[in-house]
Amino acid sequence: MLSRRLFLATLAPALAAPALLRAAEGPLKIRDLYARDRSLSDLAQSLVGERATFAGFMAPPLKADSSFFVLTQRPMAVCPFCETSAEWPDDIIAVYTKRTVEVTPFNVGIEVRGVLEAGGYKDPDTGFWSLVRLTDATYG
Amino acid sequence: MKNTISASVAALLAAGAVNAQDLPQASNQWFANGQAAIQERLARQPNTGRAKNIILLVADGNGVGTNYATRIFMGQQAGGLGDDFVLPYEAFPNLALVKTYSTNGQTPDSAPTAAAMNSGVKTKNDLINIMDSVAVGDCEAGAKAGTKTFAEIVSEEGKSVGVISTARITHATPAAVYARTVNRDWEDNSLVPEGCAQKDIAMQLFDQMQAGVIDLAMGGGRRHFIPEDVTDAEGKTGKRTDGRNLAQEIVDMGGAYVQTEDEFLAMQAPGNAPILGLFEPSHMMYEADRSGEPSLAEMTEAAIKALSGNENGYYLEIEAGRVDHANHDGNLARTVRDGVAFAEAVAKADELTDDADTLIIVTADHEHAIAFNGYCGRGSDILGLCMGIDEAGEKNTGEPLLGANGKPYTVAGFLNGAGSVLKEQADGSYSGSYPELTQEQATDLDFLQPALVPMSSETHSGEDVAVYAKGPWAHLFNGVIEQNEIFHVMNYAANPK
Ligand SMILES: [Zn+2]
Repeated sequence: MLSRRLFLATLAPALAAPALLRAAEGPLKIRDLYARDRSLSDLAQSLVGERATFAGFMAPPLKADSSFFVLTQRPMAVCPFCETSAEWPDDIIAVYTKRTVEVTPFNVGIEVRGVLEAGGYKDPDTGFWSLVRLTDATYG
Repeated sequence: MKNTISASVAALLAAGAVNAQDLPQASNQWFANGQAAIQERLARQPNTGRAKNIILLVADGNGVGTNYATRIFMGQQAGGLGDDFVLPYEAFPNLALVKTYSTNGQTPDSAPTAAAMNSGVKTKNDLINIMDSVAVGDCEAGAKAGTKTFAEIVSEEGKSVGVISTARITHATPAAVYARTVNRDWEDNSLVPEGCAQKDIAMQLFDQMQAGVIDLAMGGGRRHFIPEDVTDAEGKTGKRTDGRNLAQEIVDMGGAYVQTEDEFLAMQAPGNAPILGLFEPSHMMYEADRSGEPSLAEMTEAAIKALSGNENGYYLEIEAGRVDHANHDGNLARTVRDGVAFAEAVAKADELTDDADTLIIVTADHEHAIAFNGYCGRGSDILGLCMGIDEAGEKNTGEPLLGANGKPYTVAGFLNGAGSVLKEQADGSYSGSYPELTQEQATDLDFLQPALVPMSSETHSGEDVAVYAKGPWAHLFNGVIEQNEIFHVMNYAANPK
């Protein structure tokens, strides 16, 4: 992780600076993390390992007393674990929370702050696959 | 006495009509445009030839209200105020309003509405090309109450048949071109209940391709055609549990099967063999997010070029399936962008065909619970806030109008859906307030227009849709019609008596 951050910092200082500035200004949008072809955007890569705040909606969690939920850009009434991956939008963030998740209704906007992680990852408990995550996250 | 007055009024009116150019408003542009429109209409002759080709374009969920939003959006994108913009099909010479209810639904879903257009009869919600004597899900009764579809009728007369959708190709609107089912959800064999003899929808498409009824099908829904242990071009597995790889079987039959935009662009028409394009495991992407997939207009062009090789002509149904889905999401910004993609597909179909021998029908299957506020000044962003009317000019004042609560409000809204202002509270009750919206928030791509009744998915409505038409017998569309009459116009135009 550290070497990757150094690498990015060296390669893309021009990109990282405005991204961090934006992160400081207010919540980011999930869609800013993705390029048109669904790969990670320059902004996403510049934020890896950084603490950032994202606005979105909490998809209905399947399990009670979990420390994991999916943050979506628009309200998603469906439970991500009950539906096949094909029904699920690409532009989401898997959120690993500091405390047990208290469920927010699917259509109430929230802001989540956590450390951004990128790269394919399959959750060992749910099998949920994500490309981007926020860890050690708080929300409200 | 009364007669005398009438006669003199009539004389005055007649004189007025003759001397229209002497009226003080005669030099006004609206007046001139109105006169030109009448002259154009007077010159029209009904086309009573035979429709060699019939193209039915359906924007799912694009009722008169939704279409209004797309018209304004496309006009504003083009730099205008929006209202006066003319969508490609709005310039067609013939129009009717369509009543879309099903036999058991004041509000229909896309199954009976597509059946009405493809079989000529109304039926129950959830049924596709099965008559309404059957209850939803009744396999046994359904097996004896199927219709003969328009595709089957014209195929027997030597026409080719194609079907395109940005939704899953096994979704209700495209399925009505080739399938009969007592439940629209049975898109692959894993969804058909045990003991039911009816074939799943994907299998029915395969069978109709093998039988030579369907020559081309392009859209989403790949997962319903491949087995659960087979992965597709995106590395995703299929849903079939019968071990059948229907996509591969099309290839084995000598047909063409394409999964990506690159394969689509490189595709060679395989002569007499079928063409199957499946660009997503589920629905194709919203136009706003589209990447690596052909547009609806590009699929339309490919289909017309492939099918027009048949000198007997073709029947092609083209669906913009995701206008409906974006409305269900309450996200008008994506609705109108898919609406624009639909308009571009209509323009492409019109450009590539001849009015003399091609009947083009543009319609929707049903409307949504969309509604519009007033009194907005011209040029108010259809996705944004309702701005004031400028009493001294044309364009709005740039100042949002306020409700009695002192807050700005959007031009468009929904009566129900995820955008509901009533949110679930900790005790399970629902309450809320109207948010203080800025223009920036309201015009964001992911904004949900405010709604009233809380629901996870916004609903259809039973409100009328329009049908626009040009080509042979298009003039049979007139007045307020029942949706199943669309089939009867197509059927008559193909074989005028
Ligand atoms: Zn729908």
